[in-house]
Amino acid sequence: MVTKTEESELKNLEIQVDNGGGGAWEYLSLVRKLKVRRSDKVLKHGLSILNDSKLRSKLGADEWTLYEQVAVAAMDCQCLDVAQDCTKALRKRFSESKRVGRLEAMLLEAKGSWEKAEKAYSSLLEDNPLDQIIHKRRVAMAKAQGNISGAIEWLNKYLEIFMADHDAWRELAEIYSSLQMYKQAAFCYEEVILAQPTVPLYHLAYADVLYTLGGLENVQTAKKYYASTIDLTGGKNTRALFGICLCTSAIAQLTKGKNKEDKEGSQLQSLAAKALERDYKQRAPDKLPQLTTALKSLTLSS
Amino acid sequence: MAEDLVLDTAIRDWVLIPLSVVMVLIGVLRHIVSKLLRSSQTPDIKIVREGQVMLRARNLRAAANFIPSKAFRARKLYYCNEENGLLFVPKGQATNPQAQMFSDPNMAMDMMKKNLSMIIPQTLTFAWVNFFFSGFVAAKIPFPLTQRFRSMLQNGIDLSTVDVSYVSSRSWYFLNLFGLRGLFSLILGEENAVDDTQRMMQMGGGFGFDPSKGLSVEKDNLDITQHDWALPNFEHHAEDVLKRVIS
Repeated sequence: MVTKTEESELKNLEIQVDNGGGGAWEYLSLVRKLKVRRSDKVLKHGLSILNDSKLRSKLGADEWTLYEQVAVAAMDCQCLDVAQDCTKALRKRFSESKRVGRLEAMLLEAKGSWEKAEKAYSSLLEDNPLDQIIHKRRVAMAKAQGNISGAIEWLNKYLEIFMADHDAWRELAEIYSSLQMYKQAAFCYEEVILAQPTVPLYHLAYADVLYTLGGLENVQTAKKYYASTIDLTGGKNTRALFGICLCTSAIAQLTKGKNKEDKEGSQLQSLAAKALERDYKQRAPDKLPQLTTALKSLTLSS
Repeated sequence: MAEDLVLDTAIRDWVLIPLSVVMVLIGVLRHIVSKLLRSSQTPDIKIVREGQVMLRARNLRAAANFIPSKAFRARKLYYCNEENGLLFVPKGQATNPQAQMFSDPNMAMDMMKKNLSMIIPQTLTFAWVNFFFSGFVAAKIPFPLTQRFRSMLQNGIDLSTVDVSYVSSRSWYFLNLFGLRGLFSLILGEENAVDDTQRMMQMGGGFGFDPSKGLSVEKDNLDITQHDWALPNFEHHAEDVLKRVIS
């Protein structure tokens, strides 16, 4: 994940470059280092550097890295002719390069010729079975074609080798959630939480999945994870606040008739409700009556 | 013996500085040559996989308190299961990597090349120093030493009354050998081929990266790990946070 300082630095550079100040190359290098997806800006500013032969020659050997970056950005923005020109220039310079081969296969994928791209990727993988990017492109291709089960299969195979790649686990979790296979999604989210335990996003997603799974134990666990999200975000996450209210009322419903043990639960719920009301008052005061009725119905049903 | 010997400044000009300059140049040359000669190593799938397993197991140990106990127990079993757990390596295979390293011709060639590129320049430079720069006092070490160092530091000087702080150029050579490492990492960047001392330490302590040993270590660590679920604490913290937000 990108840190706050890097994010602000990126934003400043972006504003500077957009308004005509210099620094395009620093911006592009920062984007490349942080691996953020700003394809339209990369395309615009990258092309402005590449088309200006003076600036281009100033880059020296970095020119080819820029070509690669612009090619990928062009494919993302569907400007395939630009991507083709960049790839051709790279191929002329490095005629025997696997990296350029990878770009060409990505170009085929961007054009939509799935079988050719699939063949290209398989042959590249035969030469180098440890190329993570090609594995991920294959998964993305399967997903783009709508073949979700194929995507799951490829992603599982990838994770068998590279099992410490938390981005891949996150992708798998989202795919499983979209297919409503919540138990598997919960497992994947646990992996992600293990890898990065202090990111509130993953706690929130895990809590959502647990709540959806249902059952007393899962909902109680979900409530705890919503609480941890609130803790990690300083109480600002509206979804977690709602989650707490929903979980508490669900627990109360499920334990109706059994002994009610925790008084703290209701305290958390009332606190969350108050925080929500305060938040709505500040940010969306016209929706406040809807909120109060919803909260009342939740507490009534418990 | 307590008098100070005055050393000719010509020694500094013609011995100390040229020796350092020559060593720096030889180091740079070796770095370039090793870059040219280096064959690209394609990492084995198994080794990559084992590295990733270790990373994953380490993550599990570090963040074990963030997932529910059922999940933790399931994972612990998955890793440490006696029959087909991820971290379990049967006794026979434990010595695999070392044997593999010797039998794999590529890797053996690589090691030989690395060793040669280290040994030959060192030997040559040492011989050159001995031949040209022996028989006189080269420098004075600023702190006093015991008599035991005499044979090591004063090899060309055949006077037994000279203070041990006065050393020959051989010791200057050794000083440079270990000291220029920092300079090289500035000039050549990290991971340069001149990092002899690092490699010497590595060779001394076994063949460095030893995947199967790492796995059994991870397994033992994981077996010991207890699960202490941290989430209920978070619930209390959340209440405090919310109280602060509302007030």
